[in-house]
This record gives sequence, structure tokens and C-alpha cells, in this order.
Amino acid sequence: MNTIEGLKYSNDHEWVKVDGKMAYIGITDYAQHSLGDIVFVDLPGIGSKLNKGEILGVVESVKAASDVYMPADGTVVKINETIIDDPALLNKDAFENWMIYVELNDPEELKQLMSTAEYIEFCSK
Amino acid sequence: MKALKRTVLYDSHVKSGASLVDFGGWEMPLNYKSGMVEEHIYTRSKAGIFDVSHMGRFVVSGGEAAKFLQYVLTNNVFSLDIKQAQYTMIPNGNGGALDDAYLYRFCEDEYLLVVNASNTEKDWAHLNKKIEEFDARITNKSEELAMISVQGPDSKNVLSKLAGSDYLTEPVKNALGILDFNGKEVLIAKTGYTGEPLGFELFVEASGAAYIWERLLECGAMPIGLGARDTLRLEAGLPLYGHELGLDINGSEIPIFSCPLAKFAVSFAEAKGDYIGRESLVKQYEGFKKIMERDFSGLSVLPKIIRPITLIGRGVSRAGCKVYKGGREVGYITSATMVPYLKTEGTGLESRITGDKALRAIGLALVDGDVVPKDNVEVEIRGNKVKAVIPPYHLKSDAPPFARPIIYGDEAGHKLESPTDYKTKALNLLEKSYDNTLWRQHETINLIPSEQSHSSAVRLLSVMDPSFRYAEHKKTKSFYDYDVFYYQGTGFINEVEHLLMEEMKKYFNCAEAETRIISGQMANTAVFSAMMDFKNRVNRKKEASRLGYVLNNHIIRGGHLSAQPMGALHDYIAIDPVTEKAAVVNFPVEKDNIFKIDVEETKKVLEKYKPELIIFGKSMVLHKEPVREIRKFVDEQKINTVIMYDMAHVLGLTGDYFQDPFAEGAEIVTGSTHKTFFGTQRGIIAGNYNKDDYKYRLWETIETRVFPGSVSNHHLGTMLGLLMASYEMNNFKDEYQKNVIQNARYFAKSLKNAGLDVAGDPSVSYTETHQVIIRVGYGTGPEIANRLENNNIIVNYQATPEEEGFTASGAIRLGVSEMTRFGFGYNELEQTAGYMADVILRNKSVKEEVKELRRNFTELKYCFTEDDIKKSLEKLMSTF
Repeated sequence: MNTIEGLKYSNDHEWVKVDGKMAYIGITDYAQHSLGDIVFVDLPGIGSKLNKGEILGVVESVKAASDVYMPADGTVVKINETIIDDPALLNKDAFENWMIYVELNDPEELKQLMSTAEYIEFCSK
Repeated sequence: MKALKRTVLYDSHVKSGASLVDFGGWEMPLNYKSGMVEEHIYTRSKAGIFDVSHMGRFVVSGGEAAKFLQYVLTNNVFSLDIKQAQYTMIPNGNGGALDDAYLYRFCEDEYLLVVNASNTEKDWAHLNKKIEEFDARITNKSEELAMISVQGPDSKNVLSKLAGSDYLTEPVKNALGILDFNGKEVLIAKTGYTGEPLGFELFVEASGAAYIWERLLECGAMPIGLGARDTLRLEAGLPLYGHELGLDINGSEIPIFSCPLAKFAVSFAEAKGDYIGRESLVKQYEGFKKIMERDFSGLSVLPKIIRPITLIGRGVSRAGCKVYKGGREVGYITSATMVPYLKTEGTGLESRITGDKALRAIGLALVDGDVVPKDNVEVEIRGNKVKAVIPPYHLKSDAPPFARPIIYGDEAGHKLESPTDYKTKALNLLEKSYDNTLWRQHETINLIPSEQSHSSAVRLLSVMDPSFRYAEHKKTKSFYDYDVFYYQGTGFINEVEHLLMEEMKKYFNCAEAETRIISGQMANTAVFSAMMDFKNRVNRKKEASRLGYVLNNHIIRGGHLSAQPMGALHDYIAIDPVTEKAAVVNFPVEKDNIFKIDVEETKKVLEKYKPELIIFGKSMVLHKEPVREIRKFVDEQKINTVIMYDMAHVLGLTGDYFQDPFAEGAEIVTGSTHKTFFGTQRGIIAGNYNKDDYKYRLWETIETRVFPGSVSNHHLGTMLGLLMASYEMNNFKDEYQKNVIQNARYFAKSLKNAGLDVAGDPSVSYTETHQVIIRVGYGTGPEIANRLENNNIIVNYQATPEEEGFTASGAIRLGVSEMTRFGFGYNELEQTAGYMADVILRNKSVKEEVKELRRNFTELKYCFTEDDIKKSLEKLMSTF
């Protein structure tokens, strides 16, 4: 299971890469591994305003559908079309292939998320 | 928590990195390291192996084994031959299924029933209770016997490697075999749950299973988990108990006939007698028939049916999603997910499967009976309605060796370029015909065995005046069987017909000839029609009974399609009420030479079935037919039968160098007059009945089944041409026939020396006819035939007796009669053999060399070429 230093992680296996008020959001390697072959991705519309805990999209495997949740309040600025055309990219590299790029309402909210070390421990339980 | 059960292959799964899950109490691989998508694709493009040892395996034996199985299963056990399997269901008393299952008959007195893993205990309890009323035993062999499935286009190659034998089973679905893998007996069945046209299930002793599994992996098979097993069967439209059978989402029984595969699993044969659920199934069947005929008045009997469903909009549907049509809720999805497939490019036989993966959201749904293919529907996914459609199917397996995904919306299109004005169209047509004629007559080496070229005289006569006239005539008893003609201006053609009949009788040395028939298959149809008419001549007041049993050569063994139930025999063959199959039995073939009829085994078949019609003749033919031996046998045994020889290909070889059918004891000969015979394209029926023979009535019936039964206009132009051709035939046949057969043998030997795999018996130089057959590799026939055509060598691709169908053809079929007529001798055939080897083995281009060789052989032999003939032909041409 891969992780990357400098990212924040949620209990639902999303990762966040913060850059001032902007952030990339995706699913972790742990998530893609548990899902198996990913065959479908649904992403929100550009301009959507989503709150923390709201469903931002869906990642589906052959066997199951898995909701993806917003780790903090924000507005969707960009979405990654390549994973819509080729969902398997998420299996290839879950960190390289981000899902959405948002403008955060309050970057302080991210303090509630886990650090890399905390996430590794969380997954090992 | 109760420990999960493990199959004998558990350790192998762990070794292969399987993700294991609980499936019905068994610890089974969901997928391996490659993942479900890759496993699905690998099975469809190469070969996947599945551990299915968790399924239940019961053996039923005893005096009343069949009777018991007729009672507890829905299918007709009496139609199960030895070495055959059938799909079946275990019915409950309410019209639903306790389980679906497969019944295998490897030997005469024992039946092997395979059931779903999740229902094994329930089925075992039920069958043990029911068997108490019968003199039969049921044994649970699930532990003793392991089961491995091998599916995919490479499955045959993989298993042949393992078994050390090319022969596994007969190349038809549900055939069984018993093999030896390194001293271990392995039962093999041509069955499967993936929709792959090539696939096998193996039953092996548990202790030997791991060894065989490892060897299969070594031979290139990939292990496939239950995840891909489910996507494969879903794509193939196959039901899964608990989804398409059993209880529906509301806990009610799904009627057996809601599942469209029911028509293959349920029998109402009288011989089956009463069985569990029969009454309810008979009612359901009426409802099913109505739905199939789009009659929605009977929906109360069978209200819902399983249909395939495809999403058009974005999303993934899942089991449980509701389905709507026109705003109304019509049902729900029973199974669905995203299923991968490989894209194809090109069309038809030339289409190529690419390496590009794609996904489609497909499934099966239990919907109201009036939801039909092409209906637009909607599926509710997580609160949203997504557009969907009902396709006729998701996958087709009629072009082996690949199962082909059928993508809704893709259609084969034909774009023909065409100018708009008719004069230009006419001119183009003339120019193209000229080019085509030159190409085929001067530039190519024509080796298609059913083709011949015609002399200029024959060609010209075919388009002279009578070719647009009528000359219908019928023998009239009042005039002592003289023909009465219905048209005027028929004096010339009347003479031509009589002359033609005489030439044909002379050619065959027989009593009668019917020349009005215009093709070989039509000749056969007329004979079958006459036989049926003759059979019912005593009682015309009831519906005519059809023919049965009929003994023929199966199409797989080279029998012509005329003699098959799918061909001319279609409307004349009876259904045996006990087996519910066509009353046809096939000539057995020799073990060491599948191109030759096994006479001793045929005698046993004759004694058992006493067929009323025996049809000799083949379109893939290397040997004489054993007419003499069989005639002798049926006469000795006093079997009342008609011996017919559809000479087709070999009509032009009738005589001392091949066979004399009437001399050997045939009563009726049919054939095409355009294969080894010198043309034109027509048919012929010849008979040898004396006017005193009671069967002479049969001959007269044949004549009336020809006219007015088959033809009204009998194509007088080609009849005139045929008379000339029969003059040529009768005059030149000794030289022609001798040379054709000698050439075929020399050609076969040359091809063998050039490194090609020539089929047949080397001790007779591979052939006794005009044909030579070369094996080029399973499934490569069409491609090789194309390659040869690109090099101006024209041959047929051919499925040999081991192949499933023409798209899987592994051979090419050649005939030397046309090139012999153009003057090819040993030298030219040896050269041709060399060129063919260059193309087939070395993929070289030899087009120019072939054209050069053909250039000096464009004059047709065995026809009249003297000056006075030439002058006469010029006169004919001047009438244009």
C-alpha cells in the first residue's frame, strides 16, 4: 500500500493535496486496491458547491459502487476527464490521477484530517 | 463461526495470489492478481481455467436410473445419447426450479448430475427422498471427483497439449469424451458457463486435480476467479440461480419459463411420462409461446420474462435496480455490472479483434412479458433514471473459435458505389463482367472442386433462343405416357430434351433420367418429396407422415448440406417422438481415416435403425462410397429401403476410374451437372427402376415432384447447353476421368513433398477423386484462402471433421478437374504445389509467377475444336 508524504488523508480513504486555498482531491491506493478493477467514475459538475461529508462522486468496480466524500467545504474548479474515459487509471496510480480540483472555503478544516503517518496506522488496524 | 470449506485446489489458488471470499460456505478465489477485467478478457481471447469443484456432483445408477431422472428433472433423459450431456432443471411442484443443473452420460448405465454449490445440500436431500420410489441409487461424488473448467479460443490447443491427443470430443456442444492424461482417466465435456464456443469441463479424481491444474497453467491458461466467471456468464446471457431462477426480489417463485433457456431444458415428450411440476410447466409454456409471438393476451399465465438489458446513458446498473418503460415500472434488474470487451475493426469474416479494451454496462432483467427487444426503457440507479434498451442478446457464439460481443447500435453496413444513370450502370456492368471473365479464364489457377469451365459451344448454346421460352410438359396416361406440351413452338426443345435424356441414360447406363431439375439440391428436394409422397400413397386423407429414419453423411464429415435437416431434408424429415430429435442417423467413419465410411459399424446402424432411405454422397470427398457392400447387406437382411447416391462433386467421374453407382446397387442417383461434369449449372436425377418394378411408381412420383412440384419453367437455355456438354462428356470421358484422378493424386503428392499437411490415406496417394484436402491450422482456413486468392490461386476454405464450423475452418479444399480441362499436367501441378507452399508456409508473393503459368493454359480441352465446329459457332455468334 502506497502513501505520499505531505498529503492529508480522510477516514474514507480520500487524499487531499493543499496549495494555499486550492486543493486536489482523490482516492488512495488503499481504496483502489480494496475496490479491485475500477470500471466507472462519476464526478461533480464544475462550479458545484459541496459541503464537508457530502458525496462528490462515485467510483465503481465490477462488484460494488463506492461513494467518495468531500473532506472539507469547497467549490469544484476542475475535474479530471481522463479518469472518466479510462477508469482503470485509478488502479494504475491513485495519487497521480486526481479526481477534482477545488477552491476551499476554509483550509483550516483540513487540520481535522490525518497525516501520512496517522493514515498508515489507521489502515493497519 | 463455521469454518469455510476448501476445494482440493485451494493451495494452488493461494500460490497464484488469489483474493479469497466466502461463496456458499466455500473459500473460493474472487479474482487473482490480474484482476477481474483482465481475467474476463483473457478467457475471451486465450484460455481461462476455473476451479468449479465446489459444485455438487451426484452419480445416479440402477435399473430405473433413467426413469427416476425423467421424474425429477425437466429435460428428456431418453434423448441423451451415450457421450452426451444436456442442460436441465430440478423442478419443484410449483413451476419453479429448485436448481438448474447439467446431466452427463459418460457410459451406458450411469448418469452424472452437476448442481450449483449453493444448492448442493438442498438438492441432495430432495433427490434422496424422491429416489425411494425407484430401483435406483444416488451417490455423492463431490469429494471424490474434482471439476475444472477450461474455456476460451485456446482451450482446445491447451487441452490437446495436455492430453497428447488432438481428439478431445466430437466438435459439437455437449459432446463427452474420456481421455488419458499421463495414465490418469479424465472425463471431458464440451460444456461451459461462459458462452465460449470452445470450452471444456474436466472431471478428475480429486487427488490428481492439483497436478492437472498446474499443468494447465504451464500450458498458458490463466486462473479465473468467481468475479470474472460471473461477468462472463452474464455477457453470455446465462442464468444464475438466486438471480434469474429461484426466488425473485419479493420472495416469490420465478417461473421456469421466465428464463428463456427453459426451452432447452424442458421437455414434454410423451415418453417422459408424468414428472414433478409438469402440469404447471405445460401451462407456463403456453404463456411463453404467446410472449414469443408478441401475443400479450396470456400474460396472466407467464407475467414476466428475463430479458437482456443495456444502458445507453452513463452509469452502472446493479441487481435490484428498477426498470421503467414509458414511465411505468415493469420490473427489476436480476444481474448487471460493467463488463469488458475487446473492440473489433473491419467487417464480416475479415473483422479483426484488436487489443483495445472497452467497457459496457449490461445485464439481465426480469420484466413484464410485453417488454420486447428494441424497447427503450429506463433504469433507476441511485435515485436517477438512466436511459437503457433491451437488445436481442449481448454475445453470439456462431463464429468459432471466438465468442463475439454484440454491441447494441453497431451494425454491418454495405456501401455500394453507384452512379445514378442507368446507361452508365449498364456500361460499368459490361466492363466489369469482361474483366472478371478474363481474370478467371486467363489469370488465375482455379482449384475450387465444385467448379468447372464450359466450352464455347456449351456457353453459346446456353444463351440461344430457347433460353427465354417455356416448354412445360407432363406424361399423360391417356396417351400411353407420351408427354403433352402446354406451349407452342416447342418442337426443337422437345427433341433436345429427349436427346439429353438418352445421353444421360447412356452416361449412367440406367433406365430413366429426369433432366428438368435445375440444381443438385433441388434434385434432392424432389426425391425427398417424392419419397414422402410415395410413402403416403395408400392414405391421402390424413396428414402425410414424414421420412424417418434416414441414413446420411453428417455435414461435419463432409456430407452435403442437401442431405441435412437444415438443407433439403428440412421439410421432409420426421421427429422421433422418443428422442425429440430429427430421425436422422449418420454413417460412422473409420477411426484411422475419418474421410472413409466404416462399413462394419454401418451394418450395426442399419440393423438398429432400419432406415427407409440411405443417402450416399459428400461434398468433401476423397474416397468411393461403399455402395456395393451396403446394397449386399440390406438385401441379405431384407431391409426395406431406398439407396440413393447424391453424386454431386463426383458425377463427372462416373465410370471405370471411380464408381458405377447403378452397377453397385444404387437405385437413384442425383447430382449437379456442373462440378466434375462439364456443365451447365443444372441438376439431374437418374433412376434404374424397371417399368414392372412396384417402385416404378416412385420414379413416376419423382417426375411429378420435378414438374409441377419443383419447376414451372425449367430453364431451357442451360438445358440446351447441357446437351452439348453431355456429348462432350460421353465422347471424352475416358481420357478426362483418367487424367483427373491421376492429376489429383500427383498434385496431392507434390503438395506433400512441398511441405504441406495433406489429409487422407497415403497408401492411395491421398485421394480417389478429384479432391485434395490440406490442413493449414485450426481457424486459419479463411485467412489462407484469402492469401491464396491475392496470389491468383482460388481455393475453398473447409472445416474438417474435427472442427466446429466453417469460421473455425482449419483446412483448404482443392479440386483438379477445371485445370485438368485447361491442360494442366504433372509439371504444372508440381509448379502450382510449389507456389502454394510459398504462400502458405513462407507468406511469399507469387502472383506474377502464377499468372505466367496460367497464361499458356487458357484453351479448354475435351471439347470439339475442329474447323467445322468453329464455323458453326461463328454462325451462332452472328445471331447476336
